[in-house]
Amino acid sequence: MNIFREIYQSIVRRDPLSTDKGKTELVFLNVWLHIHPAKVKKEHMKFRHTFYLGFISFFLLLILITTGIALMVYYRPYPAAAYQDMKDLQFVIYMGPFLRGMHRWAAHGMVACVFLHMCRVFYTGSYKKPRQFNWVIGVVLLLLTLGMSFTGYLLPWDQLAYWAITVGTNIGSYAPLVGGMLKEVLLGGHSVGEGALIRFYVLHVAVLPLLVVLFTVVHFWRVRKDGGLSRPVWKLKAPKTAPLVQIGGTAEAVPLAVQAASTEKTYGLMEVVTGKPIFETVTPEEDDDAVFSYPYAFVREGITLMATVTTIMSMAIFLRAPLEELANPAKTPNPAKAPWYFLGLQELVSHSALLGGVVAPALMVIALLVVPYIDRNPSRRPRDRKWAIWLFTAFVVVNLVLIVIGTFFRGPGWALVPPWVHVTGGAE
Amino acid sequence: MDRRTFFKAGWGAFGLAALVSGVGVSLVAVGRYLMPSVFYEPPQAFKIGTPGDFAFGAPSFLVDQKIYVFRDRDKGFAVASAVCTHLGCTVAHFQSDQKFHCPCHGSIFGADGGVQHGPAPRALDWYEVTLARDGQLRVDKNKVVPPTYRLMV
Ligand code: HEM
Ligand code: FES
Repeated sequence: MNIFREIYQSIVRRDPLSTDKGKTELVFLNVWLHIHPAKVKKEHMKFRHTFYLGFISFFLLLILITTGIALMVYYRPYPAAAYQDMKDLQFVIYMGPFLRGMHRWAAHGMVACVFLHMCRVFYTGSYKKPRQFNWVIGVVLLLLTLGMSFTGYLLPWDQLAYWAITVGTNIGSYAPLVGGMLKEVLLGGHSVGEGALIRFYVLHVAVLPLLVVLFTVVHFWRVRKDGGLSRPVWKLKAPKTAPLVQIGGTAEAVPLAVQAASTEKTYGLMEVVTGKPIFETVTPEEDDDAVFSYPYAFVREGITLMATVTTIMSMAIFLRAPLEELANPAKTPNPAKAPWYFLGLQELVSHSALLGGVVAPALMVIALLVVPYIDRNPSRRPRDRKWAIWLFTAFVVVNLVLIVIGTFFRGPGWALVPPWVHVTGGAE
Repeated sequence: MDRRTFFKAGWGAFGLAALVSGVGVSLVAVGRYLMPSVFYEPPQAFKIGTPGDFAFGAPSFLVDQKIYVFRDRDKGFAVASAVCTHLGCTVAHFQSDQKFHCPCHGSIFGADGGVQHGPAPRALDWYEVTLARDGQLRVDKNKVVPPTYRLMV
């Protein structure tokens, strides 16, 4: 029996989990877990602080990678084969519709969750110092997520795919100076064809996932290095005027400002390793709130993972991913619509390609990128930042309204048709 | 500056220049690599058949080339692009109003291809059509002609 013990101990080099030392070592001797601190604060794990949206986005990414690899086994990225392979996946291949469905719904879900996660970070003011740069990395992740869904959209090579990408890449060609070249490089030709399909495939299965994973790693690392998660807004106290200490006590003595120990930081073993004397800065009250990550955080993350996977699986069972007719360059479906998260953009584009398709989105992205640097208000409490909250809400509402119009109110010929009016076929 | 620091700075500048130019050249090369050197696409100039293949009246739509071929009893042949100038959807020619309608964002082009409605920034292209030696009609998409252009046969 000793040999088994030896094998086990060669793999798991920590004390038993019943001990505090074991719980600590579980986290920091394990390559997968050591991104966590050994101890977390309970307040950080509160559902109503983060809604776990960042975690859910990450778990959806994991689902997308696994199901995506499974789909790659059958999918051949050239026009003569691609659509046929989608049909096979839909009707012939064992579990094909299930895998396709999971991939499709996880992709939609990820776009939604990443966006909602961004909203949560904004409304809790969590992008403020020292977390400014992690917000910027987040915006890059949002763009990469949209890029992943855009490139994936072409791959089924059906009518929906073909025309959404035709319209999408033509929007790019309106970009000043580089537009024409951009389109040619992206499509490997002048219109959507086999060159475009293989290029989108390479972006979708290699380039963009690699970038998303790299940026996600940096994103997580920054969460730790920026001092762990921000405090929930309901824990924030009204800013006190700095306490003054007088030395000497005479009326003319210069008052010395004393900086209170940071209450914003969680301290983990990382900091112990670098040798900073940090535990002195944790007040007893805060120490009470800190618990070992095992099992407190891991159980919560595990439940979130299971809930995410179960939801996507049930959706894949009950809702079939759509597949239209084979791509037909001669016949544009009427109306031809982009995926829902791009319908706001398409709505703008229907008014002006340059302003709506290039200028407005570019301004939106720039505005998002600079948010943490132009919002100079140090307070994170909602009542101190009414302006910021109003502005951001306006941004969200405008986007949602445009998407709703594009999705439900646009009929054949992109004419305004309310959803309760039934239109049969396009004119002629 | 003594000899030593001079050489150190020199080597430093040299190294930096080498690095910058190396990275720069590589980026340009990557960009050039991504620009296709050959296009396996249908030719821009092609024959579409003899004049007798086309009826008078309603235009014929050629699927692969995305063009409309008009034949008028007195005015002869004209060829219009079926690609919307807005974002590249295929426009439909309606006999009822003699206009081109784009399904994507609702642009409408008049009988001469001019924009009458919607976000399209410019008129539909008309292409040169000529009679080749073998008696076939030949369309050249590289040669855009005014909407009044006609080939009399
Ligand atoms: C692929 C997309 C993304 C993934 C997987 C991701 C993941 C995460 C995770 C797991 C956390 C920890 C806390 C939580 O669950 O909220 C987090 C925090 C954070 N994220 Fe993201 N995120 C993504 C995109 C974004 C975007 C689009 C933004 C903003 C533009 C952003 C900004 C932030 C910031 C500033 C924090 C720290 C929040 C705090 O301290 O309370 N992230 N992210
Ligand atoms: S593509 Fe024709 S109106 Fe937009």
